[in-house]
This record gives sequence, C-alpha cells and structure tokens, in this order.
Amino acid sequence: MVDQPAAEPRAGAGGQPYFRCSNMQSYYGESYIVQGVGFEIDKGEIVALLGRNGAGKSSTLRTIARAHAPHLEAGEIWLEDQPLHKMAAHQAAQQGIQLVPEDRRIIPGITVEENLILAQVAPPRGWDLERVYALFPRLGERRKQEAITLSGGEQQMLAIGRALARDIKLLLLDEPYEGLAPTIVAEIARTVEKVKAEGITTIIVEQNALAALRIADSAIILDMGEVVFRGRAQEVLDNEDLREQYLAV
Amino acid sequence: MSTTSDDRSAGGIAAPAGDRGGILEVFKREPVALAAFTIVIFSMPLWIPVLGGYEGLATLIVIWGIFVLGFDILLGFTGYLSFGHAAFFGGAAYVTGFMYRDVSDNVIVAFVASQVGTLILAVVIGLLAMRRTGIYFSILTLAFAEMLFAAALSIFAPLTGGYDGMTRLQEPNLFGVKMDGLTIFYIAAAMLAIGYAMALRLRNSPFGVMLRAIKENPMRLEYTGINVWRYKMAAFIISAHYAGVAGFLMVTYEPYVATKFLHWSTSGEVVIMSVIGGVGTLVGPIIGAGFVLYFQNVVQAVIGEQWRLILGLVFVFVVAFLPGGFVDLARMVWKATGNRLRARRHNVPDMELTETKYGTEERLR
Repeated sequence: MVDQPAAEPRAGAGGQPYFRCSNMQSYYGESYIVQGVGFEIDKGEIVALLGRNGAGKSSTLRTIARAHAPHLEAGEIWLEDQPLHKMAAHQAAQQGIQLVPEDRRIIPGITVEENLILAQVAPPRGWDLERVYALFPRLGERRKQEAITLSGGEQQMLAIGRALARDIKLLLLDEPYEGLAPTIVAEIARTVEKVKAEGITTIIVEQNALAALRIADSAIILDMGEVVFRGRAQEVLDNEDLREQYLAV
Repeated sequence: MSTTSDDRSAGGIAAPAGDRGGILEVFKREPVALAAFTIVIFSMPLWIPVLGGYEGLATLIVIWGIFVLGFDILLGFTGYLSFGHAAFFGGAAYVTGFMYRDVSDNVIVAFVASQVGTLILAVVIGLLAMRRTGIYFSILTLAFAEMLFAAALSIFAPLTGGYDGMTRLQEPNLFGVKMDGLTIFYIAAAMLAIGYAMALRLRNSPFGVMLRAIKENPMRLEYTGINVWRYKMAAFIISAHYAGVAGFLMVTYEPYVATKFLHWSTSGEVVIMSVIGGVGTLVGPIIGAGFVLYFQNVVQAVIGEQWRLILGLVFVFVVAFLPGGFVDLARMVWKATGNRLRARRHNVPDMELTETKYGTEERLR
C-alpha cells in the first residue's frame, strides 16, 4: 500500500458520494479477476484508472457497467441513490452509466446517424443529434455513411457522440487512445474536456498512463485486482517510484 | 397488425422520432418493389403453365413463400438460425385441422385459432431457446420441434391421428364460399403481398434497424439501455406467425394434415430455400421456395428421383460460390451488363469480411 485508498474526504453535498463502489468481486467463469475493489468518485471528476496489463482495469469498468462478463458475485455499486449491483446491463445504462468498450466502439453495419438514433431509443435522452454534429462536424458530414467506413478516430468520436446523445451521469472509457495517432489522441483529449464541462463524471482506463493523467483530476491504481493507490493525478505524475512500481512508466 | 405497434410492445419504449408512419408508409417508400412483387405473384397462374407448372403449384409456392419470408425476418435480420420452424408451420396446421374436423368449417375461426396456437408455441419456445445464440439456439429450436413431432405421434395420437395424419376434415369455407382452386390461391397471394409489405416496412423501421444492430453487436445496445432480449423475442414471434399463417393456408388449401408438416425435414427445407434464394433479401427466399418446389413437382416428373441429387448439387454450388444466393447472381448479371448497383453490403449470416493487417479475410463470427 503506497497510500490509503480514499484518503481524501470525498463526501458530496448530502454527505453521500456521487459514485461509490465497495468490495466488488467479479469472475470470468472460475477466474477471480476483480478482488474486492472499492472507491468513491465526486460529481464531475475525471478519474484515470491505471495499472499494468492484467491488473483488472477493464474488468473493473465492465463490472461497474454490469456486463455479462466478468460476473459480479459480491459487492455494491451505487450511483447517487441507485443500486447498480442489483441491475442488468441495460437497466444500469438507463440509470446513466455508459460504457465505451475498447473493441468495436460502434455498430458497424448501420449508418452513423442510425448509431446515434439507437442510442436514444431507451431513456434517458441527452443531446439532440444536431448538437452532437456541432461538436463533431466530421460525423455530421458522414451521417449517411456506414459506421464501419469511419477512421479509428472518427469511430471513437461516434462512440463518445453516442454517449452524449444519452443523458449520462458516468462515462466509462476503456482504452480510448488505443491504436490512434497522436494528433487524434489530442483531439479525443479535448473531447473528454468538453464532456467534463458538461458535468459528466468520467473514468478512463488507459495503457497510455501519462496521457490519461494529463487530463484526469485524480487517479486510481490497481494491482492484482486490488486498489493500491487513490489520490490526485498530479501526485502520480510527481511520484516516479510509484509510477515505476505499478505502471512501469 | 401494424409493425409500429410491434415495435412498442417489443421494447416498451417509444420509437425514435422521424419514422412514425404506419404500414402505409411503405407504399410511399418502395412503390416499385411492392407493385412489381404483387403483379408477379398475382399473375403466377397465368405464367407458371408456360414453365410446365400448374395452378396448384402456384398456390404451394405462395404458401411456402409466406413461410420462408417469416423465416428470413429472423435469420436475415437478427442472424438467428432456427432449425425448428416446422413447429410453428405444423403446429398451426394441426390446430387448423382440429378446427375443421371438430369445431367449425369457417376459415376465420380456424385462422384465429391457428394464430393463437402459434403465439403460445412461439412464446414458450422463444422464452427458452432465445436465451442462447448460435448453434445452441439452432439445436434448441430443433429439439422443441422434434418433441412436438414425437408428441403428435404418441401422446396426442388420439387427437392428431398419429402416423396417418389428420384426415376427414370438413371442407373449409368462408360463409359458404369454398376454398378451392383460384380462390385459395388469391387469398394466399394477398396474404403474401401483405406479408411482404409488412416485412419491407419492418426492415425500414427503427425496429428493423434495431434488429440489424442486434445482429452486429448486441452488447453495445445493452450499454445504451436497450433490453435486447425483448427485441429478439419480438422478431422470433413475428417470424413464427408467418410460419403459422402458412400452416393455416396449407391445410385450408388441402384439407389434410400430414405428419411431415412437423418433421425436421420441413424446417430443413425452409433453410435450403432461404440459402438458395439469398438470406436477408426478403424476395430471395421466396424465389428459393419457388425454385425448390418447381424441382419437387415439375423437374421430378421429367427426371424422376434424381431430382434430389440435382437439387443437392445446386445447393452445394450456391453455398460454395454464391453465398448471397440467386439474388447475388442477379446482382452480378446486372453489374456485368454495365449497370450500377445501389450499395448494399453482404448480408450473409455468420460470415463477414474483415479487414486485417494481412488483407481481407473471411471469418466466422
């Protein structure tokens, strides 16, 4: 333990944290992957969830989104007063959770616009499409194109646009920079800032730890399926030993 | 039944804005496809004799056309390969036969009863089979259909007539009008035309987009708050009803229920018809049905039992070289003669073209 998890007070206005998970334990079949992870997040915060390959970062995100795998066996997940641990994936999504997974971020066989329309079928409804196109003019130009024909960066924009088209509270970005050129990374980073300006709380899982820390307010470091650090992003940037030990950067 | 109301019952949530037209919307959107389709179907008794066919064959093609059209809504839109659609075709046929034999010779009574029966079957089978995907779904549907087949021959034999099938039915009629010859043909043709219009409407509706998206990436939809299972279930039930309508028409056309209607080979024939015609194209499977039935009835008369061998070869050829079926062949010919194609992606279930760093490769999902 380098630092006490949740050392800082993170109480919200009513004394309850905005997002809280505790003792989450989840499994891929028989393998125990997320081993009692717990943390709290304030409203509007951008959190970088870091750790080495296999530390359980993506699994933690998927557990919060109530994906079918890994399967949550124990623990609690609360978004404001909503018990997400009792919900299925689509119900958690209707409470305002949005996972943008690292693999195929979009639905390939249908058009850009259809991707956005489908995001608004279930409540809660967020931005209207014109506002999404105003933020990402390139998506507007390609609205009738099949989503699969977009470049990697444009697909990531569409994925984030799908999130904004819903009135989400907690955005979970899994490896948003993976496989993207540096100029596009900068563009995505600017997008995340815009998402933050909307008051949307965000958790970013990213291999490129330094890039994630630059836009994050705070950081959580996982190792072997457990939280080993919880603190400000700047602390991780300043603390070389910590980075060396858990992030190898 | 309008597709938009299905849409709502399917998701329990409102359809996205911008596409709220009813069934009639399809007449505005695809007038040419619909008009051409209706003319070709309704004029079949005129042109099929030229090819060596006869009136009864036209009726059979239309009835099986309804069956495969519904099958294509499930397989072509959502990618679920049912190997047990005989359960709905045969189930509805048995209910219809039961009505004609013991209850009423009125076709409306039999139609309503057969559709209630289909709905019950579809809900029960769907609730269990739809929990699985891919090969497991196929096997579960096959198992259910075979159980039904076995039950019809054993415990329900006193009702169903067992191996003899259901015989001595009253002659079906609509308030005195007999269902023979061209009468039943035009009723079936009208149902096929309506079914085709509904399928086109479904494909263009938000519900249709949803089904295509489910085929591509169901988890992604769950992450946006959509209860995917209810949409899949709705598609399954709609598909089953097409089979149920076909089963009803079959017995109304020929008042006799054959055990074969429930047999797995009936499910298999639907798969063959769809693949030969072109899965996911709606019109392709109907052409496939026409082709297979033409082989069974006309070509068989010329070449005898060898027709199965020839049909098998055609099937192998299509699967190996024309994964998009006859519709793909038509597109190739159209393109080769210097015409332009409206861009439309391959819609072959389970196979997709994937760009990799080693070039384009085909892989199984």
